[in-house]
Amino acid sequence: MINQNLNELDQFFPRAATRQLGMVISGSLSKGVEVKLFPEAPVESIAVGRYIVIEGLQLQFFGMITDVTLDNTNPQFEKTPPDVSDPFLREVYASSSTFGRLHVSPMLVLDDKNEEPRPVKTVPSHFSLVRLATEEDVNLVFGQEDETHFHIGEPLDMEDVRVHLDLTRMVERSVGVFGKSGTGKSFLTRLLLAGVIQRHAAVALIFDMHNDYGWEIQSEGHYKVKGLKQLFPQQVAIFTIDEESSLRRRVRPDFVVKLNWTEIQPEDLETLRTTLDLSDNMIGTAYTLRRSWGDKWIRKLLTAEKYELDELVENSSINRSSLDALSRRLERLERFEFLQENWAGDSAKKIIEYIDKGTSVVLEFGRYGNSLEAYILVANYLTRRIHQMYVERVERALGDAAHEPRQLMIVIEEAHKFLDPQVARQTIFGIIARELRKYNVTLLVVDQRPSGIDEEVMSQIGTRVTALLDNERDLNAVFMGVSGANALREVLARLDTKQQALIMGHAVPMPVVIQTRLYDSDFYAAMGFQEPEELRGTRNDRVTMMRGAVEEGID
Amino acid sequence: MSTNFPIGWVLRASTVGFAVGCRLLQPNTPHFGDLVKVALQPDEIDIFGLIYDVQVKDDPAVRQLILAGEMEPEAIMDQRENRLVPIEISVLVVGYQQNGFMIQGLPPQPPLSLNIIMVSDEADLRTFTENLDYLRLILNARQIPVDELLVANIRRATFAHPPEQQYAFLLKVGRELARLLNHDLVRLEGILRRIKPVVSR
Repeated sequence: MINQNLNELDQFFPRAATRQLGMVISGSLSKGVEVKLFPEAPVESIAVGRYIVIEGLQLQFFGMITDVTLDNTNPQFEKTPPDVSDPFLREVYASSSTFGRLHVSPMLVLDDKNEEPRPVKTVPSHFSLVRLATEEDVNLVFGQEDETHFHIGEPLDMEDVRVHLDLTRMVERSVGVFGKSGTGKSFLTRLLLAGVIQRHAAVALIFDMHNDYGWEIQSEGHYKVKGLKQLFPQQVAIFTIDEESSLRRRVRPDFVVKLNWTEIQPEDLETLRTTLDLSDNMIGTAYTLRRSWGDKWIRKLLTAEKYELDELVENSSINRSSLDALSRRLERLERFEFLQENWAGDSAKKIIEYIDKGTSVVLEFGRYGNSLEAYILVANYLTRRIHQMYVERVERALGDAAHEPRQLMIVIEEAHKFLDPQVARQTIFGIIARELRKYNVTLLVVDQRPSGIDEEVMSQIGTRVTALLDNERDLNAVFMGVSGANALREVLARLDTKQQALIMGHAVPMPVVIQTRLYDSDFYAAMGFQEPEELRGTRNDRVTMMRGAVEEGID
Repeated sequence: MSTNFPIGWVLRASTVGFAVGCRLLQPNTPHFGDLVKVALQPDEIDIFGLIYDVQVKDDPAVRQLILAGEMEPEAIMDQRENRLVPIEISVLVVGYQQNGFMIQGLPPQPPLSLNIIMVSDEADLRTFTENLDYLRLILNARQIPVDELLVANIRRATFAHPPEQQYAFLLKVGRELARLLNHDLVRLEGILRRIKPVVSR
């Protein structure tokens, strides 16, 4: 009777022993630890990406399952499998001669003396017992939500446990959001940015190629989700280079960005080298033209008469064919209405004004979102100017932290177009990625082809948030410089196509696979958003409180 | 089989095994694969062994009767009950109990001539098979029908357990055998097929 009661209790409140999976049988620090599963732990109930705790003799190791394999005690089982038509024989073999095997990457060490988990520097001893991590274990590793820790999602199969990103650490270095098309990169980026903006970790300048961040967004499930401006009306401003598109979408932009032709410099063309198919000679020609004609060189080139060009070629080292080719390519820019001859404003300065006030800027590209030339040109120009201003300010403020400009995070999509190995060394984005936090500017790059990004830039990306990727080269790029990368590749290649991501790097104590937090009304509420009806209700309540309830009846 | 009862006396013995002589075979015992025990006095050591062979040897009277041809039933009965040579039972030593501890291994001393041999009852069998180290002793024995002895003993031990525990016991034995016979899967499968429960679970 007593035994029966104990069993029933165990069903509802499993004891630690019942969660034991197996024991350590081999391994190394560099390659991870091998665990033999106990017969009681069915291999089909184990999934890669789950957390486990290894109870060593002196230390507890916290790790992640990175591979599950089948093994046996005699290779003959593979060549001549036994007759398992009899359930008894099958059970004997399954629980003795054949077994499941886990590959585990130990990530952190938890011991009694240090409350903070420490990086792992040794391996657990032979036959150490392995169990699934409990909620308490995971919470100990990822900490509690506070001013700097932002809830980003839950570990796989642990719905009641929250994973928190350290936003301060995240914005200190560049961040990469990677994933195949349709895996929710924009959604992940929006989540991260909402955290950064809400917690004032940094100010963001978002080059919003497809109008995904500012205002109401149609999600893939054909329902509308709120943009950052709706969630944080006081902290986010919408700028646009296509006012018509913004107004059509009922977005009232705070500023319409325009550029003067004179602001486009040969340096900006360097980034467009691949997109506009510009050769070295053409870029060289552009520099010569600026030297000869000054800031108005593009307009002059596009409107010059034939004799003027002949004269130029005769009196300089410019090659005629390069000049003509450059002219033909630059003609493509003429269709961009935001490039104007008489524009006297300074869009970069306007952005800086907002950033100085702590307001993040979403720059919408409207119909120009489909034109990579426009996106690269504008993003490169504005970033070059803003970076220049930041460098000057940081240098002026040296030694006086109070005068340093706010931490700025610049968000670019299709990052490999800015950061491919051919141009990354020359472009402003390559410079920002390499300079790190020296000038308080970091990048948040969103891309589906991380293999197209310069290796040096990739190595400087501090936090990598990666949704499903299956291209071999992209996987290599994402894991470059990550210890235990091979093991994590298996985890990444098996993520769901939606709402799952692997986060690793500076902002988390260890790589973590998460089920991302839902971007829904609960999230809006957590970000402090109130529906207009709620606000009205609140105001009426306040009025009633001040005036007292309306009396009913006849005077 | 509910109590220990004597079946004979030690004829000759060594540490690894001994021979037992008895006057006649009881209807149901001893059986091939039965667990038997010898109590050694005054050391209070009980030696446990498994019956692996029963030999009914001839004697001059039997030979003469056979040569005479036709036999009366009374003569046959008389010959069986009043033998000139004892029936010889061979036992493989698999463990001993000393000071209350059951040890599955060879005893410090063999039994002595004319020590009484008892067939163990079900309680003894259950206690002895709580530990399965003795399976290794059987598998390592030479010049005896090891596989047959294993199967016979395991079947007996299984039925010494209550029905609801029999499958779990067999599974435990199966796992241990799979560990011990990992190098010889054909032999393992042969044994498992013969010990498997008639109806699983």
